[in-house]
Amino acid sequence: MADVCYDEATCIYAGADRPAVDALNLDIKDGEFVVLVGPSGSGKSTALRMLAGLEEIDAGSIRIGGRDMVGVPSRDRDIAMVFQNYALYPNKTVAENMGFSLKMHGVSKEERQRRVREAARLLDLEPLLGRKPKHLSGGQRQRVAMGRAIVREPQVFCMDEPLSNLDAKLRVQTRTQIAALQRRLGVTTVYVTHDQVEAMTMGDRVAVLRDGRLQQFATPGELYDRPVNLFVAGFIGSPAMNQLNVDVDAGALRVGETVVPLSAAQATAVAGLSRVTLGVRPEHLSVGGGELKLQVDLVEELGSDSYVYGHLVAEPDTSLVARAGRGRFRMGETVGIGFDPGQLHLFHPDSGERLGP
Amino acid sequence: MTAVTAPSAVPVGTIRSRSTRQVSWSRRAPLLPALVFVVVVTQVPFVVTIWYSLNSWNLVRPGSRQFVGLANYVHVATDVQFRTALVNTVVLTAGTVIISMVIGVALAVLLDRKFLGRSVVRTLLITPFLVMPVAAALLWKTAMFDPTFGIVDYVLGPLVGHVVWLSRFPLASVMVEMIWQWTPFMMLLVLAGLQSMPTDVVEAAGVDGARPFAIFRELTLPHLRRYIELGVVLGAIYVVNEFDSIYMMTQGGPGVSSTNLPYYIYERAFLGFDVGQSAAMGVVVLAGTILVATIALRLIFTSFTGREEAA
Amino acid sequence: MMAATDTLAAPPRAATRPTPAIRRRRRPGIGNVVWGVVAWLVGILFFFPVLWMVLSSFKTEAAAYTNVPQFVFSPTLAEYRHVFSSGVGSYFLNSAIATVVSVVAVLLLGTPAAFALSLRPIKKTSDALFFFLSTKMLPIVAAIIPLFVAAEAVHMLDNVWTLVILYTAMNLPIAVWMMRSFLLEVPSELLEAAEMDGARLWRSLREVILPVVSPGLAATALICAIFAWNEFFFAVNITAARAATVPVFLVGFISSQGLYWAQLAAAATIATLPVVLAGWVAQRQLVRGLSFGAIK
Repeated sequence: MADVCYDEATCIYAGADRPAVDALNLDIKDGEFVVLVGPSGSGKSTALRMLAGLEEIDAGSIRIGGRDMVGVPSRDRDIAMVFQNYALYPNKTVAENMGFSLKMHGVSKEERQRRVREAARLLDLEPLLGRKPKHLSGGQRQRVAMGRAIVREPQVFCMDEPLSNLDAKLRVQTRTQIAALQRRLGVTTVYVTHDQVEAMTMGDRVAVLRDGRLQQFATPGELYDRPVNLFVAGFIGSPAMNQLNVDVDAGALRVGETVVPLSAAQATAVAGLSRVTLGVRPEHLSVGGGELKLQVDLVEELGSDSYVYGHLVAEPDTSLVARAGRGRFRMGETVGIGFDPGQLHLFHPDSGERLGP
Repeated sequence: MTAVTAPSAVPVGTIRSRSTRQVSWSRRAPLLPALVFVVVVTQVPFVVTIWYSLNSWNLVRPGSRQFVGLANYVHVATDVQFRTALVNTVVLTAGTVIISMVIGVALAVLLDRKFLGRSVVRTLLITPFLVMPVAAALLWKTAMFDPTFGIVDYVLGPLVGHVVWLSRFPLASVMVEMIWQWTPFMMLLVLAGLQSMPTDVVEAAGVDGARPFAIFRELTLPHLRRYIELGVVLGAIYVVNEFDSIYMMTQGGPGVSSTNLPYYIYERAFLGFDVGQSAAMGVVVLAGTILVATIALRLIFTSFTGREEAA
Repeated sequence: MMAATDTLAAPPRAATRPTPAIRRRRRPGIGNVVWGVVAWLVGILFFFPVLWMVLSSFKTEAAAYTNVPQFVFSPTLAEYRHVFSSGVGSYFLNSAIATVVSVVAVLLLGTPAAFALSLRPIKKTSDALFFFLSTKMLPIVAAIIPLFVAAEAVHMLDNVWTLVILYTAMNLPIAVWMMRSFLLEVPSELLEAAEMDGARLWRSLREVILPVVSPGLAATALICAIFAWNEFFFAVNITAARAATVPVFLVGFISSQGLYWAQLAAAATIATLPVVLAGWVAQRQLVRGLSFGAIK
């Protein structure tokens, strides 16, 4: 077990006009579960593969337990990886798949069997040990891939979208199992996903990447409460945060006909700007009670809640979504909505950077 | 068309150049034995051939070898028989490849349906491809095209009268034998293409109201394109070098009416022992082949490796 | 064999059809029956020359030469006895050596090359592939004179090892192409997983990659073996009595024995049989190889 440190780590693909991963800095503590998240092309997988030794570190360095990994081949890094397509050896049985790395490291046959059986018990794979991968279901294959990683007892787990080939229900189940297993084993884990729900539910800390650059590296709560820019604000949370470009008027915001007061700190932050981008999460808009008039375009019933999609009557080209109780609103209806001034996010209208607390 | 091992392009940035160079050598190493072997056995002789073509050299007259410059090429250019052989080669190659491909597509479509004993029929159909070409040519010459006892004459005789096929239509007869051998190959390739055709697309077209023939023309044929191209290019590679059938069936005759370039060059070299002239012909053929091959290979490349390289 | 070819002939869509119990009842397909009959007729038409050759080989010369083709006759093994007594054994041995050794050499040289052009691609991969295939397009006939002169200079004319070298070079380009297409189907993560598991490259190739591509290897070997066994041009030009192969035997048999069809049919049947049988039995590999892995 070890800590992992990305220090200005950069990866450049031949022929690309910008680095796939650009001067990435991450300090990952021993035993921590870190999720790299971002849209496709954000460099999250490349960052993971650099740690695993599958992509070159062209500049900067990555350290595992303080040891510089530049030029160290994968097999000498003491890392285990779970691949998106699992990459199980098709000609080997489950037991042989799981024991392969131990065999490669010269572990005795008895010891190998003992550790494989132990890992199999942990993952409910014992009855399957003699089977070949093609006779396993998707979920079972996923567990074998996990098993192959934990048998190693490595310093670091690398996981590259390990759940994306599972169906929705199994994905949710396995998500919690992996998180629980990782806490139990205490092995430092770097986990890549494009799914922000996975990132929020699994990670101790989450690194949001975009175009090869780190946007924010923080706990899930912090990402949700204080996104550093519009990109993070829009990426974390579902449905995405509402964004409105509004006028600033004497320390308050003017939304349509309504004036939204700001706190002292917020007012200081927007001083000198005539417009800002206002961000409000759907769950922080109160429907039915406010003075702002919303024309309802669509209602999405989820069972427990519903989401109301619509536009402001005063500004028809806006588009807002708000969470409401179930069954109260209908399409075409006009409802009043209100802001909670304590739950507003303000961003610079040009740079998208967060303003104020 | 040769230099493949030239040093790689300038690596990105200066930081990684050293390690990149080592990595690319270790990556290139597994390729080298095969590359060196092929170059030595197949490329070096061609270079030697070029040198021979500049000499006058007859094997049966020792000491006859002398440098004559381009004289052999002048001779080739004025050789009427060489021109006939060239035309025969083009006709034989194009005819064989095109006709066997057309029949191959038809057979593949037939075999793509379900019917009783389909695997047996396919086994029967691929057999001509497996028969040793020399034996196949012998078989066609003696048992099929024989003027007295041949099956072809027995079957067609009542319709078209008694014909000595190998003398009357030597090139066409050879072509029939080669089409018989190459059709199975084309059929298998196209069948592979048909079976890799995604069914949902066909179903979607059916739902859209397309009739079977429209589906074949609009969806199946475009899908089969790269398989057909591959079959044409590979077939042409082998058929253009065809020697066995002509050697066995007609010996290029009567006269040079069924002589193709490989057989003509062989005759000049091993029956006429004229090394200089046959080498000059070889070089001319080589130049022509490179020209055609470049076009053909580009074709097969765009369709067969395009997707990997685009990815 | 039939079981294997049956599943091969059936496209995947047929394999995933629901079980007969819940399958929709279909009209008895008159069309399908008609096309089936057509397919059978064409199949028999294509196979007929081979059938005729085999039938003739069991005839006496007199029965083979009839104006009206005879299908009913009393079979005799006389012609086979005659062929075997004419010493076909050494030709078979030469063919076997030239075929087996050249195929092994092709796989040993071609597999690493295909690896360098697929899973761990070098730069200029397409240039290298282009080069390999282009060598196939060059007229062999233009190279035969220098090869002949070279073989004579090192006293390797009429030597089966010269054939081995030439057959290896002849088949290598196609083999590299085929092997590459098979290796491209192997997910690159497999190699990465083995590397992370601590296996060195050679070990991962042997333990992980080779078992996966072994059907492709078999297909490549089969195609190369067919071409090597049937090769005639090199064999007739650079071998004589000592190293001659089966096709050369067949041609020599004509000149020494004359055009006696029953006897030639027996010789041709013997010469052809190994490859035809191999192709029939390994139809799946044959199709895979010829379609460059497009059929799994």
